[in-house]
Amino acid sequence: MLLRLAWATLTRHRSRTLLAILGVAVSAAMLLDMVMLSSGMRASFRTLLLSRGFQLRLAPKGTLPFDTDATIPDASGVMRVLRTIPGVTTVSPVLGGQLHIVRGARTIAATALGVDPAVQGDYEITQGRAPASPLELVASDDFLRASGARIGDTLSAASGYDAQLRSFSGQRVLTIVGRAHFLYMPAEQRAVAIPLATLQQMQPGPATQNRDHVSLFMVKAREGEPVDSVLRRIETALPRVSAISTETAMRQVDERLSYFRQLALILGAVSLAVGFLLVTTLVTVSVNERLGEIVVMRAIGVARGRIVLQIVIEGIAIMVSGALGGLGLGLVTARYLNSILASFPGLPAAIDFFLFEPHDAWFALGLLTVAGILAGIYPSWRGASLPIAVTLREEAVG
Amino acid sequence: MSDVVMKASDLRREYHMGGELVRAVRGVTLEIARGDYVAIVGPSGCGKSTLLNLLGGIDRPTTGSVTIEGSRIDQLSDAAATRFRLHHIGFVFQRFYLMPALTAIENIELPMAEAKIPRDKRVRRGRELLAYVGLEARYGHRPAQLSGGEQQRVAIARALANKPQLLLADEPTGELDAKTGTEMIELLAQVNRDGTTIVVVTHDEDLAGAAHRVVHMRDGVVVDDRRQR
Amino acid sequence: MLAALLIAAFSQSIDSTPPPRPPRTVAIDERLAADAGIHVGDRLLLTPTPGGDVGSAGSGDSVIVSALVRRRADPSEVARAEYRVRMHLDELQALIGYGDRVDRFAVSARGTAGTDSALRRINDAAFGFRAYRSRDIAVETSRTFLVVSRFHRAIGVITIVASAIFLLCIMLLKVDERRRDVAALRLMGISARSIVRSVMVEAALVAVVGSAVGVGLGWLSSQIINWHYRGVYRTPLAFAVVTPGIVLLAVSLSLALGLIAGFVAAQRLVHMSPLELLSGRREERSPAAAATAG
Repeated sequence: MLLRLAWATLTRHRSRTLLAILGVAVSAAMLLDMVMLSSGMRASFRTLLLSRGFQLRLAPKGTLPFDTDATIPDASGVMRVLRTIPGVTTVSPVLGGQLHIVRGARTIAATALGVDPAVQGDYEITQGRAPASPLELVASDDFLRASGARIGDTLSAASGYDAQLRSFSGQRVLTIVGRAHFLYMPAEQRAVAIPLATLQQMQPGPATQNRDHVSLFMVKAREGEPVDSVLRRIETALPRVSAISTETAMRQVDERLSYFRQLALILGAVSLAVGFLLVTTLVTVSVNERLGEIVVMRAIGVARGRIVLQIVIEGIAIMVSGALGGLGLGLVTARYLNSILASFPGLPAAIDFFLFEPHDAWFALGLLTVAGILAGIYPSWRGASLPIAVTLREEAVG
Repeated sequence: MSDVVMKASDLRREYHMGGELVRAVRGVTLEIARGDYVAIVGPSGCGKSTLLNLLGGIDRPTTGSVTIEGSRIDQLSDAAATRFRLHHIGFVFQRFYLMPALTAIENIELPMAEAKIPRDKRVRRGRELLAYVGLEARYGHRPAQLSGGEQQRVAIARALANKPQLLLADEPTGELDAKTGTEMIELLAQVNRDGTTIVVVTHDEDLAGAAHRVVHMRDGVVVDDRRQR
Repeated sequence: MLAALLIAAFSQSIDSTPPPRPPRTVAIDERLAADAGIHVGDRLLLTPTPGGDVGSAGSGDSVIVSALVRRRADPSEVARAEYRVRMHLDELQALIGYGDRVDRFAVSARGTAGTDSALRRINDAAFGFRAYRSRDIAVETSRTFLVVSRFHRAIGVITIVASAIFLLCIMLLKVDERRRDVAALRLMGISARSIVRSVMVEAALVAVVGSAVGVGLGWLSSQIINWHYRGVYRTPLAFAVVTPGIVLLAVSLSLALGLIAGFVAAQRLVHMSPLELLSGRREERSPAAAATAG
């Protein structure tokens, strides 16, 4: 009967109830988006970092991977040391650079990764195969689109361009053997990957210069081996590199993108407050309209707690209906907002700012339900606690 | 059980309004026998509605006591008084005060649901009561779809839902036209004949005329109390 | 660090005059000085590679801190906790083995016409490089802000939708509350137009007062946001600014929404007869019941 009365009361003012549900739905959508935003970035970045199983990254001392142009010298020596460290199972060296690809009269600049194709963790082959010989490369969709090249084509690539002499240096003829999805590259990045030794040899500078350097090592620790212990062993054995665990990288990302988390917190709180205010207003007005009914229910013997419960159920019903509607709306707006933030410069395209996880929806729903309960409690308690005789007299006059 | 269903002793009710002390009821003592039909009459502002509220436990006396079926309802907690009203007292108001969102039968079911009566029994009794007040065909109608007289009949059915010993009615014909008022008077008389003690506050001479006993009030005190039949 | 060194050097390259040697001197930014506990007069070792030693290949340079500089508030550097060292171009070129090369030149010209003509003439004579207008480069480098600004705009649109619904809901509640008053006015002969006008005036007042309170809250929160983020990012930049334009937009938008909400709500009232308003029976009463009721 309690539920029936709550339902009947809500359906009695359909347009009012529908508007309130719609208002709560928009607030709920915003709240869900903000909950997704606050946790999505971290979860998405963590998934990305661990997607190929490398838990550690080694960068030049005091830097973050690819944050500067600095490189780790004596890469072969470092590799040898790394392989002797207990707990290290796979080491993937990566050198970052720029290549100029000559296509007819045009020159296309591309980000180049020098990798060991057998152990690399930077890309996934989507078509063709990985480079098997020094003069083969795999390229990103954007590169292939921009250059008009196809798998099997040969390209003239250079690592340097002397503006004064208008000549290329470190030139090689490379064959495209595959199409790849580069995991850590921003959207619309023209990227290629070639064997590490080839890219090292293409680097500009005198022939005698030592080119045995890399930008980064990615390291896999043995399963069951605590990553922190491996990290400490690496730092002891190689004092001139910074070993960065996934957690450290996450902290760095947190720091750089703290704005979005804080914005999510503020906007989430505002959305919740708006939903709460909306339902409080509605319940308060509804209680004021029904003071006569409420005191008569008390007069005929309905307990105060039951009346409060019935009104609170109305508040919860609006909140929960709004929240369920808001779930769909939230997912749609999250996709739209994500498409805006996906073009954030310098971030891997695979990062989702708004990552939906069921616990986010439960969390938002829980918050809204609590808000619905709180929104209903005060006005209903006030209404149910009014002196019956006085209120009836006033209602009769009013 | 005693023949006296309700006893009020030296009831007084004072309250402040606009900075002035109002003595609405000033020492009323009253005994109401089981099965009696009592009308409280008097000019506006004489304290008769306040007295009815005190007798029904929806207002508390400043001093004095109200005993119904051996229970001092003026000493009960708010929750206990509410529970007591649910089982022992039925209320009928001048403005009907049905729940507008509920249908006629649902309005009658409301106090039964509160008393934890199973749904099938509630529906059965609800239909019986609707038939009793002559509205069996209107069980699915909402208050706004009923006339004033019909609404008051539903209100009487609701008041009788938990088979109370006492029915208190405040101006039950106050919002009705003469013809409907007469029908209401007949219905209340029928309810009384079927065993329910009735106390009614009214300006309506016809309604007062139907009661067994008429209590006249003026300025918060009983000035006349006489049995008519 | 290396990139930072480069940028610092080139931004000063045009005006710098050769420093007295020895000793070599550098200026460092206040943030680095504070974090590393460096003071003017301290001797530092600069190396192009992490952990590099003086005297080894790609050797480092021993320098004295001659000045602390306060970096300009640059939005594009806000989230990057980088340090800056400013040194003389030739010393940096020698330190990092860059040869006689620079990444870019900054050129100043007189007025817009001067800039246009300088740009044209440089590009005509350019041999292996190209001149760009600073403003064009700024647009290119401010993509982050464009993205953030688009994001904020999208959030703003959602907020406006929510506000519009909220306002409409409040106005419906208000007119529902006043059904009886309006019925009485209608019975007294007050026209529907007057009632609509009065409801709209009320809605406009609610919207204006609400937006005034909102502007106040917005100003207060902008102060808190600026205080917070200036601390977090150690910059004098303003992150949230309440401008007259924003105030005008907020108030006029609320007013427009308020008037629309008021109009919609008022239409509900005036399209019901006074008797319907008094009884509140419009929604509930079916024709069959209406025939028998009353």
